[in-house]
Amino acid sequence: MADKSMAESSVSMAVDLGGVRMQNPVNTASGTFAFGSVFEDFFDVARLGAITLKGCSAEPWPGNPAPRMCEVPSGMMNTVGLANPGVRGMVEQYGEYLAGLERRGCRVIVQAAGHSVEEYVAAVELIEELCPWASGVEMNISCPNIARGGALVGGTPESASEVVRAVRPRVHRPLLVKMAPVRVPEIARACEAEGADALSLINTINGMSIDVRTRRSRLSKPTGGVSGPAIHAIAVRMVWEAAQAVSIPINGMGGVASWQDAAEMILAGATSVTVGTANFYDPTCAADIVDGLASWAAEQGVSDINELIGAFEC
Amino acid sequence: MSAGLDVHGFTVVSNEPAADGLMRIVLRAPALAAALAPGQFVNIHVPGDASQILRIPLSFSCADAAAGTVEIVYAVVGDGTRRLSEMAAGETSTAVGPCGNPWPVVAGARRACVVAGGVGITPVVACARMLAASGVAFDAVVGAQTAGKLWGADVLEGLGAGTVAVTTDDGTAGRRGFTTDALADLLARGSYDVVYTCGPEVMMAGVARLCREAGVACRVSMERMMCCGFGACGTCNVAMADGTYKSCCKDGPVFDAEEVAW
Repeated sequence: MADKSMAESSVSMAVDLGGVRMQNPVNTASGTFAFGSVFEDFFDVARLGAITLKGCSAEPWPGNPAPRMCEVPSGMMNTVGLANPGVRGMVEQYGEYLAGLERRGCRVIVQAAGHSVEEYVAAVELIEELCPWASGVEMNISCPNIARGGALVGGTPESASEVVRAVRPRVHRPLLVKMAPVRVPEIARACEAEGADALSLINTINGMSIDVRTRRSRLSKPTGGVSGPAIHAIAVRMVWEAAQAVSIPINGMGGVASWQDAAEMILAGATSVTVGTANFYDPTCAADIVDGLASWAAEQGVSDINELIGAFEC
Repeated sequence: MSAGLDVHGFTVVSNEPAADGLMRIVLRAPALAAALAPGQFVNIHVPGDASQILRIPLSFSCADAAAGTVEIVYAVVGDGTRRLSEMAAGETSTAVGPCGNPWPVVAGARRACVVAGGVGITPVVACARMLAASGVAFDAVVGAQTAGKLWGADVLEGLGAGTVAVTTDDGTAGRRGFTTDALADLLARGSYDVVYTCGPEVMMAGVARLCREAGVACRVSMERMMCCGFGACGTCNVAMADGTYKSCCKDGPVFDAEEVAW
């Protein structure tokens, strides 16, 4: 890595993710960073541009039985089932820490989870009431809709529009929509039309892994979400497609494990870059990427990282 | 959150077979060795295959702060542990730790029994070291499928175990049968304050049942598939008797057997 202090002093790293003003483009993915505090043992979390909290619903969710994860080549699969303590439980346990993190310069994005339009509305109303410190709200529309047989809440432009339309007037700060990795340009446009301030993508890609001796799923459910370097190239392509389709900023993620992966996302059109699965096996990864991106931007000869957003040349 | 939780560099000191399918690796990692308490675990990166991204969570048998070393006896079960078994003295990598909570010294306990099945011997040896250092008298049961897969009975004797009962499924060493058969006899004549156990879950369920029947406290060390080992991924859930889940890495891996849904 090139000289960090030189790079940091010569390039402006601040980005504006739909009103979430980040000191640098590096964010952490929901469900991979808990509520931030546990990573303070590894590095100063306030160095990051933002963190996105584990998705919280209005009421606590227990999540799925074990096993919730298995390994696949260059990645992993999970079926955590959005286990979470509920918005109230999260605030009771971590609210003070998170308010402090905001004061230290790192933006906190609270993620809302739900299984129906009503549940999303209930979650964001609680977030509005209980999380005055949060810089943004991310709505995860990749959850299964229980009332519609488990189809993704945001699996079609119509269903994505419906839930964003219901939530938008209730969120009085930047609203990010975390998209499922399906029909990206159409759903991106639908979310933008309903007033989303930024789009986060991609979420895990649904996959399947079978133990051929037992003939059983290697997870407690038949399918699970694939994440990690295995999905990175797909994620870069989808971020690029989304960036072509809309004018709101993109929060790019999917298999980002190094500054090079992050730089690819920026070139493809991402304003911020989110580190997910890599947090599990390389817990200082996000901080290392902050340094690496600054050096890269300096090497690219720009004075502001924003000059590199979407600077991909075919 | 564990005191001293960090990504610690280590150098392999030695890595030799301990028994059939079991290896004993000694890592030089002074800060980690000083921070670890018996019952905790470490999450090891095995270099050399970029397609295996996750670390391998492993219990340890001895953390020697004075020598700056950590001893791990591990089973070779998949590609990751096979590659670990091929690491040579002098090679380096990293371990995340300390992960999880230590074995508790149950207040007022004067006599304990430790029960190990298979590679569950590893944290049980660490437990025996803790008991020996705390002046708690203990007996031990060590079980394996067959004589060739046994490790640790002599280590437990060396640590001052009163009785060490050995069982094998096929009778090639010690008593033919399961650890629970030997534990039932020891419980009938011993007056234990607490039993500590690690092994296959079905075995620990049996140990928990015997302890409940005998009115003896029981602490179990659970294992789950997991990613991080420090409470970020939410994948290592253990079902509790009250219908809730707890995290194996953050709330465990040691649980009161009465809490667990067997």
